[in-house]
Formats: sequence, structure tokens, C-alpha cells
Amino acid sequence: MEILSIIFIVGGLFFLIVAAIGVIRLPDVFSRSHAVSLTDSLGAFLMLVGIALHDELGKNTLKILVVLALLYILNPVIAHATIRAAVRAGLKPWKKENS
Amino acid sequence: MLTRSRPISSEFLFFKTMTLFVFWVLLSASFDWIHLALGLACSFGVTWLNSGHSPFIPKFGLWLRIFLYLPWLFYKIVQSSLHLTKLILDPALPIEPQLISVESKLNHHAAIVLFGNSITLTPGTITAEVDHNKLIVHAIDNVSREDLESKQMESKIAEIFKDEKPDL
Repeated sequence: MEILSIIFIVGGLFFLIVAAIGVIRLPDVFSRSHAVSLTDSLGAFLMLVGIALHDELGKNTLKILVVLALLYILNPVIAHATIRAAVRAGLKPWKKENS
Repeated sequence: MLTRSRPISSEFLFFKTMTLFVFWVLLSASFDWIHLALGLACSFGVTWLNSGHSPFIPKFGLWLRIFLYLPWLFYKIVQSSLHLTKLILDPALPIEPQLISVESKLNHHAAIVLFGNSITLTPGTITAEVDHNKLIVHAIDNVSREDLESKQMESKIAEIFKDEKPDL
């Protein structure tokens, strides 16, 4: 169980690092927010599952599941709000030609 | 905005109070009477205050089908996360960001919300604007765009809502 939870946490860390690299490498707000959504979808998921497996089952496991459910409900809302604001502010998606 | 005044259903009161109460117990983690009673009173009060606005009426068949849709959605999320990871770590950065407009056949408010949220939750595509059944979606490359245009997700959601009365 200990080893399994460490595998999950390291996997989550990998995706968090990839997302951070993505935020630096990608060119504009639209594509960067894709990288950020990678953090939530796999990074935070694997981390939280790893933490949940680390302790024995109990109250804390349930709390982590609630956090996970809220994360998956709230994150698309935040990402959508950011992108909608960007579109309404008149930002155009980055194109290969004009870089 | 569409607001309808409707009689408060007792199921609505019961389920929402119970949901909030479970959440309260989970967070407070103390089981003496004063805390439990306080939590129950608070959950009921919040439910009562909100009861005029929410059109939520429990429909178990629908919720079951949405629940059964989630594993498939999770599979798509993992698949496209791995694809996006490959894109980011590729030295050439082969992305082609584009705004595309998607017209869906869904004719239910909740279905559009579920569709938009599923699109946003899948890395590589983000819903930028929703207007009735037209969505403007930002896709990071052609693979994500083709995945969206294959209508696979839309037909799954249409299947979930096939028994509902159209309200769009």
C-alpha cells in the first residue's frame, strides 16, 4: 500500500511538472489554460489518490474524495470563465505564421 | 434569465438538507448532540432559503445514467491528458490552436451544461462561449478538434437525456 501510494504521488508530480513546463512553453492564454487543466485532471487526481491510499481508510479518505469531486466540478467552471473573459476581451488565438 | 416559481417539493427539501448535513458531519467530525443539531438546523435553513430558485428535482434514472457516463469521461480525460503531455514535451511543440464553433443537437439546458463541462474537463479543448446549442471551443491541435468533431461525446450525452422533455 505504501509503495502504491508513492507511485501515485510520483505520477501526480510528473503531470504537475509537465503542466508547469507547458505553462512556460505554450504561447498564449488559451493554450496555457490547456496546460493548467492538465494539472487538475491528472496531476491533482493522482496526488490525491496517493494521499488517500497512504493512510488507512477512514474519515480522511472520505474528505479527500469530497475534495476530488469538488475539484472536478469547479475546475472546468474556472477554466471556462477565464477563457470566456479572454475571448470577450478580444484576444485572438496564437497562430504559427505570425510568431 | 429564466426563473420559475414553483411549489417547494418535499423531496427537494429532504435530499438537499441531507446532502448538506452529510457534508457538515464530514467537516465538523464531532458527534455530540449540540453540533449535530446545529448542523441539521443550518442545512435546513440554507435549503429553505435556496428553495425558490433551484429547479432541482431528483430523477434517479437520469442521475444513474450520468453516473455511468463518468467512467467513460474519465477514460477520455486520461487519453487526452497523455496526448497533451506528449505535445508539451515535444521539442518542436506541434500545436495548432484554433477556435472552432460546434453546433450540437442537444436540446436540454442540463445536457448543454454537461457537454460544455465535459469539453472543458478534457485537456486540449476548452469551451469559450455558449449560446443556446452553439458552443465556441478552443482546441489545441487537430487531434483534439477531430475528437470533438467525431460527435462521440455529444451522442453519449444525447443518450443520457433521451427521455427528458426538451427545454431549449
